[in-house]
Amino acid sequence: MSASSQDNALRSGIAWRVLIYSVLIVTAVIYLAPLFVMLVTSLKSLEEIRMGNMMALPLQITFEPWLKAWGSACLGLDCNGISGYFWNSLKITVPAVAIGTLLGAFNGYVLTKWRFRGHQWVFGMMLFACFIPFQIVLLPMSQVLGWLGLANTTSGLVLVHVVYGLGFTTLFFRNFYEAFPDELIRASVMDGAGFFTIFGRILLPNSGPIIVVTVIWQFTNIWNDFLFGASFASGDTAPITVALNNLVNSSTGVKEYNVHMAAAITAALPTLLVYVVAGRYFVRGLMAGSVKG
Amino acid sequence: MQQNIARDKASTVSESRNDKLIGYLQQHLPKLVLAPSFAVILMFVYGFILWTVYLSFSASKMLPNYTWVGLEQWSRLWNTLTWQISLQNLFIFSVLYIGLCIVIGLSLAILLDQKIRLEGGLRTLYLYPMALSFIVTGTAWKWFLNPGLGLERTMHEWGFVDFKFDWLINSDMAIYTVVIAGVWQASGFIMAMFLAGLRGIDNEILKAAQIDGAPAWKIYTRIIIPQLGPVFLSAFVVLLHLAIKSFDLVIALTGGGPGNATSLPATFMYSYSFTRNQIGVGASSAVFMLMIIASIMVPYIYSEIKGGKK
Amino acid sequence: MSFLNIENVNKHYFDVEVLKSINIEINKGDFLVLVGPSGCGKSTLLNMIAGLDEISGGDISIDGQSMAGVHPSKRDIAMVFQSYALYPNMSVAKNISFGLEMRKVPKVERDKAVQKVAKMLQMEQLLDRKPSQLSGGQRQRVAMGRALVREPRVFLFDEPLSNLDAKLRVDMRTEIKQLHQRLGATIVYVTHDQIEAMTLATKIAVMNAGIVQQFGSPEEIYDNPVNTFVAGFMGSPSMNLIQAKVCKVEDKLCFEVATADQDRPLLLPIERDQQALVSYLNRNVTLGLRPETITDPGSANRSEGQIHEADLMVKVTEPTGADMFVVTQLGGTEVVARMRSRCGALAGQSCRFAFDVSRNLAFDGDTGDRIQ
Ligand SMILES: Nc1ncnc2c1ncn2[C@@H]1O[C@H](COP(=O)(O)OP(=O)(O)O)[C@@H](O)[C@H]1O
Ligand SMILES: [Mg+2]
Repeated sequence: MSASSQDNALRSGIAWRVLIYSVLIVTAVIYLAPLFVMLVTSLKSLEEIRMGNMMALPLQITFEPWLKAWGSACLGLDCNGISGYFWNSLKITVPAVAIGTLLGAFNGYVLTKWRFRGHQWVFGMMLFACFIPFQIVLLPMSQVLGWLGLANTTSGLVLVHVVYGLGFTTLFFRNFYEAFPDELIRASVMDGAGFFTIFGRILLPNSGPIIVVTVIWQFTNIWNDFLFGASFASGDTAPITVALNNLVNSSTGVKEYNVHMAAAITAALPTLLVYVVAGRYFVRGLMAGSVKG
Repeated sequence: MQQNIARDKASTVSESRNDKLIGYLQQHLPKLVLAPSFAVILMFVYGFILWTVYLSFSASKMLPNYTWVGLEQWSRLWNTLTWQISLQNLFIFSVLYIGLCIVIGLSLAILLDQKIRLEGGLRTLYLYPMALSFIVTGTAWKWFLNPGLGLERTMHEWGFVDFKFDWLINSDMAIYTVVIAGVWQASGFIMAMFLAGLRGIDNEILKAAQIDGAPAWKIYTRIIIPQLGPVFLSAFVVLLHLAIKSFDLVIALTGGGPGNATSLPATFMYSYSFTRNQIGVGASSAVFMLMIIASIMVPYIYSEIKGGKK
Repeated sequence: MSFLNIENVNKHYFDVEVLKSINIEINKGDFLVLVGPSGCGKSTLLNMIAGLDEISGGDISIDGQSMAGVHPSKRDIAMVFQSYALYPNMSVAKNISFGLEMRKVPKVERDKAVQKVAKMLQMEQLLDRKPSQLSGGQRQRVAMGRALVREPRVFLFDEPLSNLDAKLRVDMRTEIKQLHQRLGATIVYVTHDQIEAMTLATKIAVMNAGIVQQFGSPEEIYDNPVNTFVAGFMGSPSMNLIQAKVCKVEDKLCFEVATADQDRPLLLPIERDQQALVSYLNRNVTLGLRPETITDPGSANRSEGQIHEADLMVKVTEPTGADMFVVTQLGGTEVVARMRSRCGALAGQSCRFAFDVSRNLAFDGDTGDRIQ
């Protein structure tokens, strides 16, 4: 009898697990569906899209939409594809990430290892800057960029992203260096190392993980930015997100869904790649960005 | 080596005046290094906030105009139908978005916490949308929900002839498509937060509860979930923050339409400031957004910092 | 003239005073141990000698030269930290030579110095490893090597052994002592472990609550503690501090101590500090008895001490192998005596105790200060 009840328990246990796995897998399929649809659509011809099922695999794979999206799709009157905007995004993202991360590292270093009276207030004010809705700075910023001659330039967007990324990069490094032993700093002071030597020789070589987290965070945010791009850049200087939106919403001509999807995947590719390669650090950044302290 | 130290000692004396300067510099160097960043934050964040606040009391229309007009722009803002719709939409969107993300995120986290073999892979799948730009998400879902070519048609082809899904172009329902796309994007992240919270719970408590004979679901409802309070709070704050800032997603998915059915404060501010030449109204809407966020973030940050000190 | 002179040093963090007018002087070659409970300000004082913490008042001088305003790296001091503070990204050799590199010592000399130190500490085979690849004891050695290579005027140690397991701690203690004797270095050493203090020091400063309670040689501190704090802190097991009354029996001053038997108090003749104790006649004092001054009659030291014997009830016995600690009740508290392991004492039975009354100490019942 006890054997059979055990058997029952076992069976219901297995049933449970089957159920759990089914729910998880179905959910995963739902999460994947939009990406899957984008991908198959981008490989179909327009006729096939109109005729067939969006979930169906392409009958005949064509890379035409990809080539067109990259090189010859029309955004307004300009028919050179999104490639130029892709490079714009790179030109904005790479320097903004580099500068923002470096400044954040220095700020975190000072705020933890060279404390001064009122350091909490400085940090608090920088922290709050992470959470403002950027709408509150749009109008003054566009004016200031105009005065600086940086309106509609990628350099202007670099400046904007550095400034409004500072709060987060400082937060990341501050929290990391907070846990970095003070005794190491004291030891290097006794060894005769100065402010920059300690930073360069002791702190930085031990900051690998937080640098990766910060770079990924900054890269993802800046690459994916739309608000600043749409507000402060137009025409040739726009980043890829703005270009993608323009492409998709351009009212002229036939809607080339396959080209749109190819462009969307292209725009998503760099951040997706980062996520696939370094997902662990990506998640850590998200967590660190949401839980302060 | 002995000699070297001796030389060192000799040089200390002769360099003592230099030392003073170096000492002074060393004392202030850290602050000098921090100063530019802090100045930039002061100016570009706090200065700009004041600037925008001033604009909201000015006569600005197409261009900034610094004539003081008191509450005129504010009253214009509150008398604008689109703004009222935006706030209403924000309310609907926030409640559903936050609620669904938390329910789905927590459920997935609990399911994934059952010693699932593919956990790593599944986690990656649930979370990837967070790496995408909202514009990409919006574009994808716009296509996916397209009544003529997307889901509706697919269901028809699969034999569900009566299936109807036209929310994207239905003024009453369009805001829910924004919710769907938003939840799709953020729920994986919330799942990751809850999973981290679950993993942080002391294993011995769970063992004790098991020995006490509590069934699995009771262990969750009575012991585990109550301990996740801080995660709920973090998730809530993060999601509310995302909801209020939501701009890209709406622009890409519905463009605020049909009509102004999916307008949110963020899109309202943008269109009034940059396309409708109502800078004053745009500024006051931005200030109002800041006020909502500040009323949540300031106490939250404060408690986090205080809690962190403990 | 003293080599390291700490004069009237104060320290406060904002309005919290953590050190109050510290005065300590030691000579070249001294091994000074700062000992006291956790949080009493030892590390703070050490950091101030190093120049890592600012002094709020007073002055510290080394070799007659005031250290005010002198940068830590210019004081010709080396420090070994509690956590060892090894640079995780550098090899052992780099860790040791980093300080020399910062002082612009040429590479060839640096390498030679590293080799010499590595040989001294027997860790030549470790030079290429990273700190994470070392055991606790090896890290400790590297931390010492980093200090030794500089050949400084003063070595500072902040609880260098507290992260090691018991056995290693004893070994390293011996090694540090040998190093001190070999190099004749001047050392300031912080610990909360009074055994370390006693074994290593030539001078001890016992600290509590930011004040130096007593400064002197280990023997002075142990035999002549100035108050109940020092008496109770130094020694293991710690000194028995019990309530007693000074009284006169047949013209002789005695301590009257309550025993388990109400009607028969223990009377211990007063053999030292009599003059001072006269004024305490018929008053309560705190009597300090070191466990080793209470023995079984057979092992009492009759040639040097003055032995007074009494029968007392045994509460508990705690054999340690070499000795047996025998607990009895005196003056309302438990008192530990140190007897031979085969003295035959049994819990719950009466046993004969021998008190060496020449080593009894008396403290003021209210202030806790020594009466002498
Ligand atoms: N930076 C600081 N700010 C305020 N108080 C401090 C600071 N550093 C140490 N203290 C206080 O000074 C006292 C002495 O600390 P410390 O010298 O580390 O003690 P010890 O080394 O004897 O354990 C402690 O009570 C500690 O709380
Ligand atoms: Mg200490």
